[in-house]
Amino acid sequence: MANGTWKIARGKGSPQLSIAIVAVLAAVLVVLGRAQSSLFDRARTYFSDVTAPMLEAARGPVNGIGHWVGGLGQIFVIYSENQRLKDENAKLRQWQNAALVLQQRLKRYQLLLNAVQDPSLSSVTAHVIGRANRPFLDTMILDAGKNQGIKPGEAVVDDRGMIGRIYLVGQHTSWVILLTDLSSRIPVAVEPGHVQAILSGDNTTSPSLETSRPGVALKVGQPIITSGDGGLLPAGLPVGTVTWNGSEFRATLLADPSSADDVRILDLRSPPEQPPTPGANDLPVVAGGFPPAAQTPNMLPGAQVKPLQLPAGVPPPVPPAQPQQQAGAKPPGPAAANAGQDDEQDH
Amino acid sequence: MNDRLGLSFSGTGSSVLPFICGVIGVVVANVPISFLGGLVPSPLLAFMPVYFWCLVRPDLMSAPAALALGALEDLLSGGPMGIWALSFVVAYTLVDRERDGFAGLSGIGAIFGFAAAMLVAEVTAFLVVAATHATFPPLGPFVLQAVTTILLYFPGLALLTQVHHRFVGALRSDF
Repeated sequence: MANGTWKIARGKGSPQLSIAIVAVLAAVLVVLGRAQSSLFDRARTYFSDVTAPMLEAARGPVNGIGHWVGGLGQIFVIYSENQRLKDENAKLRQWQNAALVLQQRLKRYQLLLNAVQDPSLSSVTAHVIGRANRPFLDTMILDAGKNQGIKPGEAVVDDRGMIGRIYLVGQHTSWVILLTDLSSRIPVAVEPGHVQAILSGDNTTSPSLETSRPGVALKVGQPIITSGDGGLLPAGLPVGTVTWNGSEFRATLLADPSSADDVRILDLRSPPEQPPTPGANDLPVVAGGFPPAAQTPNMLPGAQVKPLQLPAGVPPPVPPAQPQQQAGAKPPGPAAANAGQDDEQDH
Repeated sequence: MNDRLGLSFSGTGSSVLPFICGVIGVVVANVPISFLGGLVPSPLLAFMPVYFWCLVRPDLMSAPAALALGALEDLLSGGPMGIWALSFVVAYTLVDRERDGFAGLSGIGAIFGFAAAMLVAEVTAFLVVAATHATFPPLGPFVLQAVTTILLYFPGLALLTQVHHRFVGALRSDF
């Protein structure tokens, strides 16, 4: 490029001092970025809002070219692929019918048991207008924001499973942190057994899986779903399957963010869980052998409890302690307390 | 300075052109549309003008300009703030201190010089990410990004040389 025969011009002042000051400023920026990230986040969402029309316009041709290039290799296997898909479609229709029957049966059981209804789950469908792939960052941008009711923390899924969570929301764009991102942590459960675990992204295609119980035995191929712990993400969203890389368990994700063009943003409207009303026997003074200081109104001796009406021939179920307390019935007896102890021992 | 080329680019315009090239590099690299299906991390296009003009005309690519381009890279990429800003400044410092050694490289040597500066920037980013996230990120994506950027420096160097020659001034090898 150059042979060293030219004296390079320099600006006035001390360049070394300038570089030192700039280096300090850069270090301050790192600290400031951690402490005041909302300031920079607003700038990011403003930028994505402004450039959204341009990204939307570029999305079509770029995706078209990508699909066309990706589809070139499929030309020679179209016939066999078509036959395979027809067979698969027929099998899937059978499974769909079975799923519908089971869904109806589940609804009937829920009605019979007077089970707590699942939280309502609405969704917004959005286009993927951009993807950012950095060594320590894996995000995508959607064309839906505050105007469409999107909020930070909501789950983003494609037709196969969960992709990530919303972490920044602009007026009509939002940023998604993918499950593979270095900063991504979500609570999941491994089925069967509902083994609680944390899915941690590390910018590889297979996030790591850390079970909350040490020594628990996982098997390759077990399905992973969201556990719903914390109330931010809906429970039961398919995430992936368990894999073993020779040293630790990891998750092979079902969703493919690189090929997803349209995604759904799930809005979990779960009512806040209320703690059960403590009964007289739940108070620590009673457990210590002392009388309670005051009785709650629903524990008055004269309170009437309406018995549960059961159909003829149905044996009376043993209800859990929590609904009884909420309904103002008598506190759980020793059997219920022992059952609770057993549960704790199981854990 | 551009009379012999028949161009009339004002002095102020030519002095900010290196920075504008850096801004264009940031914007192009951060247009969040993947052409390779996310297989390869986006290249650090903004680092090319920083390295190039730090060697040939450091008065046109100062350390604050490198800081600003790094900060813009951080802002538009959606990652934690300051990582690329610090990386650009650290790499700039190295190139500035060893300018004669870097500028004496030619041909494929110039690419190796860029690769060395790129390595410093990537290692700095890796260490800052490790410090801020309290965990070591996988090294592979950093290496991939460095390799992609170094490969793109072949056409990038030709383009930057043309831009410098036409709009800014002569290269030092022309003297």
